[in-house]
Amino acid sequence: MMQLIRQELYKIFRRPRTYISFGIIAAITLIIELALYADGKAFMNFALQNITEQFDVQGKIVNGYLVTYIILQSLIINIPLLVALVAGDSLAGEAGIGTLRLLLTKPISRSQLVWAKFLASVVYTLMLLVWLAIISLGLSLLIFGDGDLINMKSGEVVILLRDDVMWRYLCAFGFAALAMTSVAALSVFLSVFADNSIGPIVSTMGIILFFTIITNLGLPSFEAVKPYMMTTHMIAWKGFFSEPVPYAAILRSSLVLVIYTALFIATTIIVFNKKDIKS
Amino acid sequence: MMKLLRCLPLVVCCLLVCQSAYAQAASATDLFYKMRSKLNAVKDYTADVKMNIDVAFIKIPTLRGRLYFKSPDKMKLERDGGISILPKKSISLSLNNLLPAGEATVIDAGTAVIAGKKVRVIKVVPDSDKTDIILTKIWVDEERLLALRTETTTRENGTVSMDLQFGKYAYLALPDQVIFYLDVKDFKVPKGVTMDYDAGDEELTRKADNQKPKKGTIRITYLSYKINTGLSDEIFAEQKK
Repeated sequence: MMQLIRQELYKIFRRPRTYISFGIIAAITLIIELALYADGKAFMNFALQNITEQFDVQGKIVNGYLVTYIILQSLIINIPLLVALVAGDSLAGEAGIGTLRLLLTKPISRSQLVWAKFLASVVYTLMLLVWLAIISLGLSLLIFGDGDLINMKSGEVVILLRDDVMWRYLCAFGFAALAMTSVAALSVFLSVFADNSIGPIVSTMGIILFFTIITNLGLPSFEAVKPYMMTTHMIAWKGFFSEPVPYAAILRSSLVLVIYTALFIATTIIVFNKKDIKS
Repeated sequence: MMKLLRCLPLVVCCLLVCQSAYAQAASATDLFYKMRSKLNAVKDYTADVKMNIDVAFIKIPTLRGRLYFKSPDKMKLERDGGISILPKKSISLSLNNLLPAGEATVIDAGTAVIAGKKVRVIKVVPDSDKTDIILTKIWVDEERLLALRTETTTRENGTVSMDLQFGKYAYLALPDQVIFYLDVKDFKVPKGVTMDYDAGDEELTRKADNQKPKKGTIRITYLSYKINTGLSDEIFAEQKK
């Protein structure tokens, strides 16, 4: 199995487009960091005008922790796309170039192949998140230094002291890994139905976008379905920046994401085992 | 003549009442100016402080920092690179700024009891129209010449009430603890912008908290003072930006 995963990882990292994801993250992050370095104060004055009408907020507001939070907020939609770019290609890509049948002539079960494809996608996802952590948190702290974090929510402002922030980021990145694993599972699941990689990639993005919009519209008619949508729980990393941290809700969200991941992979294995492979 | 003599006690009584009222007014005015001159003896100070902010829409832990004050109106809270939140501009943390400067009309408003102590209540209306303060009501400990409570109505920042507790720096009218009571407005940013995580039950509890009356308190505990050390204006430079 390890051999199989290594082969899948080799395939993933041999393709130039894999590195496009790392490049895109670096580019977006650097642009946001540059923009906030130049106009961060003006941006925050605008964002905080509701508060500054009533209070004088002094000190280093634009710091590495805040910049990282803004970057992560901006990348909520982008990261799933970058995950889908590789995970969506896992089975459909092989079918597209006609190597899937050849691959299945090897002495491995179809389930093993699905697991290997999925786990290789998870490794890629984790590497993407580690890269994001280095380039956003690491570089932002280097450029802007640390400081207290102001987290603006729709009805309140949470201010976290700088000594109390780093562990929250570690937990948030840990949770993001779980959330992105579920996106990878969705992509692999969609990949089993397609014969080229464009379909699963676009479908994953469509699904994520559609449900993210529904989650954030805040319309009462969608309230009943919100607790069951994957996108509602994918942003639970933000819970670590609340005070007090809603651990019960985060645990609930983690459970929902694990269930989604398990469902997607189980269904993929069932469908793939029954599938008539023609290419 | 007899009729005139009969009216004499009444006239005398009236004169006495008027004199007493004038005397009281004069004493209230004296009290105010004496208290203000006591406050003005402190030209600047640096104090280590602990600050608790209790405002419905702000979640913030206890802040520790250093508060700089320079007469008449410069104030800065420094937190070693951290963020600090102070009440807006003229509603400053210093009692000096909550008492009208310059000439003022002082009205005696009787007496009241604060923490079991009988205090004199005076109302101060600044003579100048240019100050932000419209009216200040002060509960004064006459013995120690200390303001134990103030209620200041301003043109732009609503009404600010303040309770003061004094300890070893009472001789300079510098408090050990100050509690501000502020009127606060609603805080709302569209959910589509903040993309909030909906934490379910916990979130509902928090929303219920936000429905509380829109009053905020800021409690400042002064841990130590360094008085009249000649602070330079540069310390307050960032605030002016």
